[in-house]
Amino acid sequence: MAGAASTTGPGATADRKIVAFCCRECAYAAADASANARTPLPPTVRLVLMPCTGRVSPLHLLSALAEGADGVMVAGCLLGQCHYREGNFHAVDRVAFVQRLLRSVGVEPERCRMFTMSAGEPPKFVAAVREMDRVIGGLPPLPRSEDGGGRKAASAGGASSLAAGEPLVAARGAA
Amino acid sequence: MRAGVFLCECGGNISGVVDLGPLAEHARSLDGVVAVSINQFMCGTEGRALIEKAVEERGLDHFVIASCSPRFQGPTFERIARELRLGENAVAFGNIREGCSYVHAQEPERAQVKARKIVEGAVARLHHMSDLPRQRTFLSRSVLVVGGGIAGMSAAEELAATGIEVHLVERQQSIGGYMARLSKTFPTEDCAMCSLAPRLTGTAINSRIHLHALSDVTAITGPPGEFSVTVRHRPRYVNEKCVGCGECAAVCPVTYPNDFDFGVSERTAVHRPFANAVPATFAIDRKGWSPCKTACPVHTSAHGYVALVAKGRYEEAWRVASEPNPFPSVCGRICTHVCETECTRGNVDDPIAIAGIKRFVADHGAPAELPAPLPVFYDEPIAIVGGGPAGLTAARELAQFGYKATVFEALPVAGGMLRVGIPEYRLPRDVLQGEVDRITALGVELKTGQRCGTDFTVDSLFADGYKAVFMATGLHQSKDLPIPGLDQEGVLRAVELLRAQALGEQPSTGKRVVVVGGGDVAYDAGRTAFRCGADEVTLACIEDERTAPASSEEIEEGKQEQVHVEYSLLPVEILGSGGIASGVKFQRCTLGAPNERGWRPPLPVEGEYVELSGDTVIFAVGQAIVADFTAGAEGVVVERGQIGVDPDTMMTGRRGVFAGGDAAAMGPWTAIEAIAAGRRGARAVHNFLRGELLVPVWDSEADKVKIPHTELEPFEPQARRIMKTLDGVARRTTWEEVRLGFSEEDVREEAARCLDCAVCSDCKSCVTACPADAIDFDQKAWDEEITVGAVILATGHQEFDAMRKLPLGYSRFRNVLTQSQLARLLSASGPTAGELKRPSDGEVPRRIFMLQCVGSRDCTSSGNEHCSAICCLFATLHSSLIKQHYPDAEITIGYTDMRTPGKAHEEYYRLVQERGVRYVRGRVGEILEEQDGSLTVRLENTMTGSKSEEAYDLVVLSAGLEGSKGTQDIARVAGVQTAAAGFIRELHPKLAPVDTQRTGMFLCGTAQGPKNIPDSIAQAKAAAARAISMLSTGFAMTPAQVAASDVSVCIGCGVCEASCPQTAIVLTLGADAHSVVDPNICRGCGICAAECPTGAIQLGGFSDDEVLAEATV
Repeated sequence: MAGAASTTGPGATADRKIVAFCCRECAYAAADASANARTPLPPTVRLVLMPCTGRVSPLHLLSALAEGADGVMVAGCLLGQCHYREGNFHAVDRVAFVQRLLRSVGVEPERCRMFTMSAGEPPKFVAAVREMDRVIGGLPPLPRSEDGGGRKAASAGGASSLAAGEPLVAARGAA
Repeated sequence: MRAGVFLCECGGNISGVVDLGPLAEHARSLDGVVAVSINQFMCGTEGRALIEKAVEERGLDHFVIASCSPRFQGPTFERIARELRLGENAVAFGNIREGCSYVHAQEPERAQVKARKIVEGAVARLHHMSDLPRQRTFLSRSVLVVGGGIAGMSAAEELAATGIEVHLVERQQSIGGYMARLSKTFPTEDCAMCSLAPRLTGTAINSRIHLHALSDVTAITGPPGEFSVTVRHRPRYVNEKCVGCGECAAVCPVTYPNDFDFGVSERTAVHRPFANAVPATFAIDRKGWSPCKTACPVHTSAHGYVALVAKGRYEEAWRVASEPNPFPSVCGRICTHVCETECTRGNVDDPIAIAGIKRFVADHGAPAELPAPLPVFYDEPIAIVGGGPAGLTAARELAQFGYKATVFEALPVAGGMLRVGIPEYRLPRDVLQGEVDRITALGVELKTGQRCGTDFTVDSLFADGYKAVFMATGLHQSKDLPIPGLDQEGVLRAVELLRAQALGEQPSTGKRVVVVGGGDVAYDAGRTAFRCGADEVTLACIEDERTAPASSEEIEEGKQEQVHVEYSLLPVEILGSGGIASGVKFQRCTLGAPNERGWRPPLPVEGEYVELSGDTVIFAVGQAIVADFTAGAEGVVVERGQIGVDPDTMMTGRRGVFAGGDAAAMGPWTAIEAIAAGRRGARAVHNFLRGELLVPVWDSEADKVKIPHTELEPFEPQARRIMKTLDGVARRTTWEEVRLGFSEEDVREEAARCLDCAVCSDCKSCVTACPADAIDFDQKAWDEEITVGAVILATGHQEFDAMRKLPLGYSRFRNVLTQSQLARLLSASGPTAGELKRPSDGEVPRRIFMLQCVGSRDCTSSGNEHCSAICCLFATLHSSLIKQHYPDAEITIGYTDMRTPGKAHEEYYRLVQERGVRYVRGRVGEILEEQDGSLTVRLENTMTGSKSEEAYDLVVLSAGLEGSKGTQDIARVAGVQTAAAGFIRELHPKLAPVDTQRTGMFLCGTAQGPKNIPDSIAQAKAAAARAISMLSTGFAMTPAQVAASDVSVCIGCGVCEASCPQTAIVLTLGADAHSVVDPNICRGCGICAAECPTGAIQLGGFSDDEVLAEATV
């Protein structure tokens, strides 16, 4: 299944970055399985291991977009098969919320997407990543202010702790 | 922070794509990094040595492993960090194999760039990682198993075999569960009880299994490993002396639908569900005092004598009726019978005619000979002043306690108001005298014609050596109204008229009588006037028809005797001339709002007057005390027309002098209240003389129960028997008793109407019958606290209630049964000893129809969606058993789909088909009952689409399985979730099928979902294994990756509490409300952390800072 022709296709260029929040039980397991089969993936994608997609908050998605990512994806278990029963339903809601938020500030909502798969469906994971890469490749880089914007700019120093709540409170206001 | 970065070549898997040298150089430049190493296999011993050396030499506190996916070797490196005492959460992972080299092998330059970013991200994450607290939990080596069915027993057995102490709690009186009720089991057709009995005995004799039968788990608190469990033991009312002989059941008069047999048979209140029951002792099914017993002021077990009468056991019934009350035949006639008012059956149709039954018992059950005198134990003689119901009852009670009691009666006859206030046609003199004789026969001395204050005084009683005095002098004076004309000739007082008549003075009244008053005494006076020669009697009372104070019997009998009644009239003047009364002038009135004592004052209507003419006016407006006994009775105070007493001790102001009955009534003036006062008075005197003055004489409320009619077993409506009376007008000239009593046939039928709502009737026949002295009615429910390490829920299922499928006629048609009922009929130890007899006529049914999927695979609101898994084979088994026993039987099974997975099940199904059982794929629209009890089944064949009507002798419904009520209850107590149809939800349907969402609580058997016996046992053993593996180490640590709330940030909004799927979070109460996470319950999903609007709640190892540090590089 591997092959140079099928690596990335007409995807995003090397400077793009897609952060994939993957749940440990299904999506990350599917990613591992596809990787063990040496299935090529576009290098734009960066995996972040999460216990459950229920842990992914709008803060994570918005901060990632604000601080360097051109796209974010949340990959979890099939709906109804969450290992914590409800986590991915929360994730679906939050992704939809972030999409509405992006649209309202003039950012393409497809920069944030939710995918579901079982641990036994590596091709679904591969397809999801490639789809994301194709979509982001079709969009211009996400414009940012010179200082990078987001919380790094807000909290001078870069690695200091997050001022709890600020981004989310803003997000809730928008909702 | 002093961090190390360890790069793994993975034998070329990584280093073949990513050039690790430059990567190491880059890593060395990152903030906080003090050591960087590359090794061929970081997961090997060399890698470990490298880490150890770096930690030791460079003082690392965190490190990054850049290698394969953390899902593979993550735990290895976390363990190394823990062993090197870096704590929890000291390692970050850079996934440069699955996340980079494996998938970007074709683009090594981009892979190299990405690997740098991955390592940067991991190092960035380290900056936010801090040690995570874990709690150490002690693990008690004991397990609570809830439910004593086959699953619970199997789990208990397995646990006990490993040395774990097991507390097995069973709600029923015996363990055995559903399996004990089956006839045979599929596919082997071996006897269920034969395979179960060794398990029952094994459980009973296992010293590590502590069996708590007839018990409920009412609370489970505390952390896993140290659960604190409250077990409520319900009383058996049979103690451990029971030898299981069954003499008690042989005499028990109550017949109740046998729940063990699913209602196809009846059982007694004291019973044992089956011969092999464990524990083997009997138990009394007793909800408490029946409402009739509760209502009765002396708590006569009306239910008890009613049950005995239904069985024709009149002498025993008399014993029950007379035990608390020396006047059963009096009360059978004139009692206000609040027992009937409270009768449970009265909520549904008519109350049982308890008083009429009691009269029959007293008339036909009383022993012919008088009782022998009782021995006197105590040498304190007691004087009782007043020989009415209160005084005589007190005398009998005291005689029974062992005192010598002497009754002083002012009148020439004993009986008080029963004798001189109630006319003979209601209470014949000989009936009353019979009961008085029974009291004096016990050794009670009766002195008539002795008036206190005149013939003797309280002082003289003490001087004569009496040690206590009970005053029960009654109210023997008529009250008058302050209106003009009272002193004219022809004005009588009811009490005086009745007394004169009773004492044989033959008073005469005029021809036209006006009675002022509307209570029982007014009726008695009016009806007595008829018998003294009156032609016309008119009652006038201030109440209206709805609030008339007389008893319904008096009103009814008055109506029959043509007593005329005028309501809402307030007397204002007795009319007359020349000192001779000629009538009464009334003013129309209404009743005002009740005052604090409940009395409603009459409000006269201006200008509306009514005159009733008559030659005689009788006043019946109340009675008053004759306070002529106070001379020589210092300290005995009469106030507000009553002798003042302490309500708790009944003592008057004088030490040793007590008072009760009407004279000291703190309630209604009725015979039964007076009798109750007599009992309390005797108890008060006894307490006083025995130095227990402060013990209250009132009853405890503990046993009183009210049974909602929704809890009753179904029954046919039936009107109550009406007692015959003498003809209404003709009887006006005779003193013969008006009410004739029930015939034996009527009384037994009436008694059989009793619903046995409290099951046990408190007749105490079993107490007498038991040769081992094992019956103990004093047992009370009690709570026990036990500590267990783990809990296994095995509370099982119940059959779907087929009544919810109305068209199928279950419970309406006698020959429609469920498979469970059929199992009892086919069971060799069942009510028919295995003979199949249909309920309507006991005939062996020839044509039998079994309907599958009743309440299962049913998407309507009255059914359940799931397949109940066992019914296809349950019906097949029963068909096979019937076919083998009755080869002529024609059996049709109407099925939706035949589902027979499992070992040897399909083979069994084919075998039974070959035995001649007909399987039809079809659904039933309706079942109709014919005259002879046979049934017409309207069936649609879903294979051919054809519809047909077929006649059958018996229809058996394969009702599906639902989580039992016990399962619902324990789910609530244990805090675990139930899903559709009431089954407990497992933690994960595939990966954790016997775990619940609560750590340390496991489940098995049909509490989890429908399944057959071997599957239940397999699951039970799996649950036992889970409990054993959890408890085997003796202690446990809570996981590191759990949520924790920062109270300084939390605003107490409760969003986390609502979102937690494990219910691990609770919000504290009060002004500083904040969330608290139970690390024992939290499973680390992080939903709460993502929901929290302030960031107060964070998931260990996945805080916002940690995640974002990595994601934003």
